[in-house]
Amino acid sequence: MFLDPRAILLFGANVLLLYLTMLVNSALVGWSIYLLMLGPMLVFPVLYLRHQSYFICTLLTGLWVDAALPSGFGLFTLGFLFAGAFIFQMRIRFRADSNYHLIVLAHGVNFFCILLVTMAMGFAYITSLGFWLQVFVTSLASHLVLLIVAPWFFNFERMLFALCRLEPEPEDLPIL
Amino acid sequence: MAKLRLDRIKPLVALGAFLFAWWIIPTTLKSFLEASFSEFQAPAWVATSYLDDLENFWARRSHSKVELIEAGREVARAKSLYQFNSQRKETLENEIQRLEAILNLPSRREFRYEVARVVRRDLNAWWQQIVIRKGKDFDIPVGAAVVFSGGVVGRVVEVSAFTSRVELVTSPNFRMAANFEGDVRPVVYQGLPQSGFGDPLGTVRDAPQDVIASTQIPLKLVSTRLGGTFPPGLMVGRVSWLEPGNTGIFQAGEVELDARLLSLHEVAVLIPLYPIDLENDVP
Repeated sequence: MFLDPRAILLFGANVLLLYLTMLVNSALVGWSIYLLMLGPMLVFPVLYLRHQSYFICTLLTGLWVDAALPSGFGLFTLGFLFAGAFIFQMRIRFRADSNYHLIVLAHGVNFFCILLVTMAMGFAYITSLGFWLQVFVTSLASHLVLLIVAPWFFNFERMLFALCRLEPEPEDLPIL
Repeated sequence: MAKLRLDRIKPLVALGAFLFAWWIIPTTLKSFLEASFSEFQAPAWVATSYLDDLENFWARRSHSKVELIEAGREVARAKSLYQFNSQRKETLENEIQRLEAILNLPSRREFRYEVARVVRRDLNAWWQQIVIRKGKDFDIPVGAAVVFSGGVVGRVVEVSAFTSRVELVTSPNFRMAANFEGDVRPVVYQGLPQSGFGDPLGTVRDAPQDVIASTQIPLKLVSTRLGGTFPPGLMVGRVSWLEPGNTGIFQAGEVELDARLLSLHEVAVLIPLYPIDLENDVP
């Protein structure tokens, strides 16, 4: 099959996560808190899908995120594919059946995204203390919330697989 | 063995190929992709905004009759005040037109107000933008001024079919000409990276040396006609401290902006009634 049906499900779940995050961000504006939770979007496609399906799912997710956020178009598309290629190479090391490794990966990817957007969008304000203070608060809040959201999101994706009667196990693991 | 090696570097090869493709893809195609994805997402945000309105409608329906009667009375009082102000404004406008005709002054920019609901707020260290529920369907132009009851909100930076993105006055990317109330000399206002604590701030530069600001009597920074985007006299913020700038010739200081900017629900877009005429328009 050209495209694993799970890739479409995972893309849909990513779209939902982004939409919910932005709704929460819109409501939290008064408290000056912003959540950037892009890390979990990459974890399941990179660990569960064959390379072709992973690539298409990640590409579409990246384009979707780029269109939704005011960052430069292509920033997250390229960032996701870069991080994805890195994780894909060593995905045999991660246990996809338990949430522990997945949560660690989600935090790693999320931190990479924060770093990426800070370098791309905040280079001009690198000397501003206020800027770094808000980046710190955003990172802290995002990673704290991610501790709750990431397990929920991974279980939600597993539930989608079960509901659609799709293979709940990772495939195409590299042969050592 | 060769197949095994190829399998292992497949993600890197694919990434390299994609990076090369992304590099050679024409900008128009990228813009098309961005616009397509944005337009695809817009209905979800518009629908969310309408659901919000519906929620507010049902919330108001639960108010008691006594509360509604009291609210109606308040609206009636406000309406009579606005009717009186409207008549006065009309009289003053006629007077201004008469004087302008006598003095043979050039024409001023006229605007049409388009009130729009805020559907999304994206305020963080990296960007300070809001999305409003009107776009090309209401002829919103890129660069149009956006205001609210407290003064300047920002400027339209991107227009889609049904939504528009507005760069807020708090954003470091936002810059405009302004002047202090009662002083016609222009100064430069620019947003600042926000720390997230306290009220939003901006900065003012190129203020003349003789201008004095203090915490007891803060200066009001208002918009000016310079630049052609904003009508004059709209509140930008308050300046309670000025100090010599980098050059030593002019002064600079922080501008305290309206805290309501962080929780806007409705704004007005000022759409110019005719394009800028640099030769005939008043600067």
